[in-house]
Amino acid sequence: MAKAFGIITSSPEYKVQGMQDHRPIAAFSFLGRYRVIDFPVSNFSNSNIDRIQIYISSKPHSLVDHVGTGRHYNINSKRGKIQLFFPADEATSDIYNTNLNALRRNVEYIERMSEEYVVIAPSCMIFVQDFDELLQKHLDSGADITLLYHNVKDAKVGYATCEVVNIGPEGRVTSITQNLSDEDEANIFTGSYVMKKSLLLDLIEKTARISSTYTLVQAVSHFCGDLDVRAVEHKGYFRPITDLRSYYDGNMAVLDQDVADSLFIPGWPIYTRTNDSCPTQYFKGSSVKNSLVSNGSEISGTVEDSIVGRNVKIAEGAVVKGCVLLAYAEIGEGVHLENQVVDKYARITSTKEIISNKERPGYIRYNDVL
Amino acid sequence: MKQNEMLAMILAGGRGSRLHDLTNKVAKPAVSYGGKYRIIDFPLSNCANSGVDVVGVLTQYESVLLNSYVAAGGRWGLDTRDSGVYVLTPREKADAGLDVYRGTADAISQNIDFIDSYDPEYLLVLSGDHIYKMNYDKMLAYHKEKDAACTIAVMPVTMEEATRFGIMITDNENNIVDFEEKPAHPRSNLASMGIYIFTWKKLRELLVKDMVDEKSDHDFGKNIIPALLSGGDRLVAFKFEGYWKDVGTIDSLWEANMDLLDPANTLNLDDPTWKIYTEDTAALPAYIGKDAEIDRAYITQGCVVKGLVRNSVIFTGSEIGDGAQIIDSVLMPGVKVGAGAVVTRALVADGVSIGDGAVVGSADSKEILLVAQDV
Repeated sequence: MAKAFGIITSSPEYKVQGMQDHRPIAAFSFLGRYRVIDFPVSNFSNSNIDRIQIYISSKPHSLVDHVGTGRHYNINSKRGKIQLFFPADEATSDIYNTNLNALRRNVEYIERMSEEYVVIAPSCMIFVQDFDELLQKHLDSGADITLLYHNVKDAKVGYATCEVVNIGPEGRVTSITQNLSDEDEANIFTGSYVMKKSLLLDLIEKTARISSTYTLVQAVSHFCGDLDVRAVEHKGYFRPITDLRSYYDGNMAVLDQDVADSLFIPGWPIYTRTNDSCPTQYFKGSSVKNSLVSNGSEISGTVEDSIVGRNVKIAEGAVVKGCVLLAYAEIGEGVHLENQVVDKYARITSTKEIISNKERPGYIRYNDVL
Repeated sequence: MKQNEMLAMILAGGRGSRLHDLTNKVAKPAVSYGGKYRIIDFPLSNCANSGVDVVGVLTQYESVLLNSYVAAGGRWGLDTRDSGVYVLTPREKADAGLDVYRGTADAISQNIDFIDSYDPEYLLVLSGDHIYKMNYDKMLAYHKEKDAACTIAVMPVTMEEATRFGIMITDNENNIVDFEEKPAHPRSNLASMGIYIFTWKKLRELLVKDMVDEKSDHDFGKNIIPALLSGGDRLVAFKFEGYWKDVGTIDSLWEANMDLLDPANTLNLDDPTWKIYTEDTAALPAYIGKDAEIDRAYITQGCVVKGLVRNSVIFTGSEIGDGAQIIDSVLMPGVKVGAGAVVTRALVADGVSIGDGAVVGSADSKEILLVAQDV
């Protein structure tokens, strides 16, 4: 099998209200125990791609903390390697802070990789993919670039800011465009590519002369006419995290056991950094239903249809429904919460009722006291 | 952090035969506890948290699982340049045949070369099968302050319990003046916890003599401690207050797990400054189903609960089917309980499956039922 290295791109183009003030989407907590970045890194690790470059567009602290040396991703500490690339100061304006410019700034590190191929995956989407298999399909087809897409039937909800892969006759990709159509069905781009390293370097160089605000997908789309670009369909759970709603829905969806089974597949572990928290304690009088509960929590109240992160405290008489509680959140006695995303270390004790609807979940800030 | 002043040796060779089928294939220190831990995580984490960086683990009985488990020192952070966890099984030597460890002291004697290679000033000797949190660095400070040859950690027990332990008789200054093994009429209530700090030079001398003494049982309690006492060396007792449990039987193992359900329990596994480290499993957070009912429980990640759990501790990866009831019980890792099954006052061993509708254990049983085979 031809060897490839991995690149995990940043996603400065997506904005998640509130949460992103504190960390990039890649570092968002997912299902209480994971971070979004765990999915692309585990996919690479499980696909035997053990040299990985991660590009960060802003606020690197919490991502660096989490990824560390990467040994928890089952990557050989001698043969494998995780490199983290930080945002550069020279990106004076947001429009220049693109994932392509991040690659361009560090092009020498890409040049130095010894593998012939590169697999590129996004840091803001949750899905499981065997990239080794994708690389094999790429080699078999003889294409210049192979893209991965996911066919959705609800393109207008949750995928509004994503891109669509337009596939022409004979399966050739003609362009990749913003998802602006009114159609419910669309082939949403997963932000994943396979190509030769030399072609990536070529794209980085050529596009510098076309537009300095291009993102990687715009660059690839620009050259679709000249290159043989093919697409492969992804199957299984797929969730781009592009705004608060998609973050909330993405978490909630996994409460369905069938969905959970399609994301957590035997033999395909999703690795994460352990916090060595003790098991969760459920006190007398607690009531918990249809929820995912991480370790280290203490529950005395009522929890339904929720994701409970690590070391969360839910006091007696509290009612938590349809919520995503991030680590160290504290819900006080008699507090009633519905359809909220509660960020880390938030404490809700004085405000007794916060209710939003599922279509517009509320957000309670990091460290906030209510 | 550079530190090899004190080396630790964990005695992990025992079978723990009163745990019956639980220790058929694993040694007692490898027995699961508290949802996600193994018993040996406690001394190993205590070492890591106390700054004791090099730990030898002396294994013998059914040691395959235990050896591979402790060899991954990274679990306890003991894998830096100056730290490590080393599995020491009996081995053949140039000047002696292959000997099993003939006793607790012999296990140390046979590894004098290993200890010498680190040239420690002090040796910490621990049991691999006790559940407790303790700062050995404080104990070492006490050992130095008292200028002792040996410091033994002790804890007060009731006079009734004292008949089951090694009992230390001390003077007003905590000097140990006498020692009795499981006395019928105890003269003190200070029980030895099986935690010793020795000044290595002194212990080394005694071990070398003990090795060739044909009458010796090569045991710390029976031979080494009495030899120190009669030799006029200073032995002191270091008093420990807190949670400590030797889980020698199914009932006591069950009880130790049940202790975790008490919000006021003094073991406090939730202390961020003294975490107990263990194997990390790639498992989802616990999933609690739509019709589940949970009333006083300790449940770890990777579990799926669809039925009722009352007064119970559920270990990693256990699954409880629809309508099943788990009452006053302990489910060890990977236990599957079928729909409608009822488990009462039982300790279900690793990986056991309980079929749909099966009824196991009863509320008025005197002893806890060990379920070690599929039902």
